[in-house]
Amino acid sequence: MFLRVVLAEVEKNFKQYFFGARVLFWALALPLGNGLYLYFLYLPFAKEQVNLEFGASSFTMDLAGFTLIGQLLYSFFTMMLLAGAAFDRERQQGTLESVLLSPANRSAILLGGALANALNHIWLLIGVVLSWVLFLNVNVFIGDFLALAASVTLSYLSIVSLGMCFEALFIHSRRGTMYGTMLQEPIMFLSGLIFPLQSMPRALLPFSYLLPLTFGLVAVRLTLLGGASVTEVATPLIALLLMTAVFLALSVWLIGYAERSAKAKATLTQF
Amino acid sequence: MAFHSLRVVAATARVNLIMTWRFFSWTGFALRFFAPMMTLGAAWVLYNQVYQGTMSPEFENIIGSSTYLSFITIGNAFYVFVFAAAFVVGRVMFWERATGTIEATFMTPMNRLAYMAGVMVAAATSSLVDFAAVFLIGTVFGFQVASFNAALFLLSVALTAFALFGVGLMVNAITLSFRDRTTTSNTLMILFMVFSGIVCPIGLMPSWAQAISRFLPLTYGVKVMRASLLGIETFNVAQDLVTLTALGIAYFILGALTLSLIERNLKKKALLSVF
Repeated sequence: MFLRVVLAEVEKNFKQYFFGARVLFWALALPLGNGLYLYFLYLPFAKEQVNLEFGASSFTMDLAGFTLIGQLLYSFFTMMLLAGAAFDRERQQGTLESVLLSPANRSAILLGGALANALNHIWLLIGVVLSWVLFLNVNVFIGDFLALAASVTLSYLSIVSLGMCFEALFIHSRRGTMYGTMLQEPIMFLSGLIFPLQSMPRALLPFSYLLPLTFGLVAVRLTLLGGASVTEVATPLIALLLMTAVFLALSVWLIGYAERSAKAKATLTQF
Repeated sequence: MAFHSLRVVAATARVNLIMTWRFFSWTGFALRFFAPMMTLGAAWVLYNQVYQGTMSPEFENIIGSSTYLSFITIGNAFYVFVFAAAFVVGRVMFWERATGTIEATFMTPMNRLAYMAGVMVAAATSSLVDFAAVFLIGTVFGFQVASFNAALFLLSVALTAFALFGVGLMVNAITLSFRDRTTTSNTLMILFMVFSGIVCPIGLMPSWAQAISRFLPLTYGVKVMRASLLGIETFNVAQDLVTLTALGIAYFILGALTLSLIERNLKKKALLSVF
C-alpha cells in the first residue's frame, strides 16, 4: 500500500510538472545561471583552481567544476525545498482535504512528490554534467566510482528527507513557497557552495554542519572532481547517513503533528 | 492628455507606495535583500580568507587602485532595481488578473503606460531604501567612496531605472500571455545578474558572455555608477551614457509595443481574465 501511494504520487507529479517551464527553470536555467555567476565571482582573483580541504585530506580541483557541480547539487536542494510546498499546492488546487481524507500514508505522499522531483533532476544532472565536460572543458576526475555513487545517493536521500521535514513545517503557512525561496541565499552561503568550507568564518561553521547540503557538496566534489576514495570521504558519508535517518524520523513525527494541529485549529484549508 | 497621464502616474504610485509600506512584508524584503547580502558576504570571504587580498593583474588593470569590495558593493546595489523591474513591474497585470481586477483596469480610459510608469515610480522609490541599505552594509564589508560625481551618480540611477522599466513592460506582456508567475522574472534576474558585470569586470568574462552583456542596460548603468563613485578613468563614461540611453529608449518602445499587442490579442480572443 505504502509503495503504491509513492508510485501514484510520482506518476501524478510527472504528469503535472515534467518538462514544465518551472522544472526546466529550477533544474536547468538556475544551476547554469548561478554556476556562471559564482564562476565569474572568482575571475577577478588570480587562480583557476580551488583547494578543498576536509579533515586531513586536501584536494585541488578545477574552478569551473567546483562552482558548476556545486550548483547542480544545490539546485536539487532547492527543488526539494520547493517540493516541501506540495501540501501548499494541494491547498491552492482545493484538493488538500480530499488527499488527507484518503487512507493513504502521509509520508508516502510526500516521499512520492520528493522522489518525482529527484527523478526529474537526475536525468538533467546527467545531461548537464556531460555537456559541461564536452563544451566547458570541466575536468572530471573520478578515482572511485563506488565513492561517487555513495556520495550522490546519500546526498539525495538526506536532502529528500529534509524536504519532507520542510513539508510538515510549511503546512502551517500559506507562504511555504516563499519561505522555501527565502531560505535559498542563507543556505548557499552556509553550505560552502560558493567557497571552500575551510574558509567559512568559524562562528558560522556549526550552522553549516546542520545542513546535509554541506556534507553532500564536500563528498560529491571530492569524489567527482578530486578523485577521492570511499575512505577519504567516510566522514561526510557517515554524516549524510545519520542525517537521512534523523530527518526521516523527524519528518514522520512532524507531518503527524502538523496534520493534527491544522485539523484541531480548523486551519487546514482556511485561516 | 499629458496632464491626465501625469495624474495616473501620481495616483498609481501613491496607491502602490501605500500598499507596500502599510502592509510591509518582511519575507518580501528578505527575498530582495538576501541575494545582494549573500554576494557581499561571499566576496568578503573570497577576498580576505581564500585569496588574502591578492587580485589578478587583469582586474587591477581595468579597475585601477579601487578595492574589490567597493566594486562588488556597487554592482550589488543595482540588484534591487532589477528585482523591482522583474518582479514588481513585470507582474502587474498577472496580479491584476489574480485579484480579479484586470477587466476593470482595462476598462478605465487611462493610459496603460502611465499606469505602469506609476507602478515603476513606486517600486523604484521603495527600492531606494534597499539601495541605500546595501551601501550602508557594504561599508561594513569594506566599501569606500574614492570620489563622488553626483551628476553621474543620479544619471546612472535614472537611466538604468528607465531602461529596466522597458524590460519590465516586456516581462509583463509575457506573464500576461503565459499565466506565468515567477519563471520569466527569475530567468530575467539570472540573465542580468550573470552578464551585467555585477561581480566581475566585463573585460574578464569570456567573449560569448561579453557579447550578451552588450545588450543589457544594467551593464552600462553599473559601469557609470562605478565611475561616479570610484573615479575609474579607464571607463568610457560618455559612450556608456549614450548606449544606456539608446538601450533604454529601444527597450521602452519594444516593451510598449509588446504590451499593446498582447492586450489587443487577449481582448480579441476573450482571454483577458479566463483561459
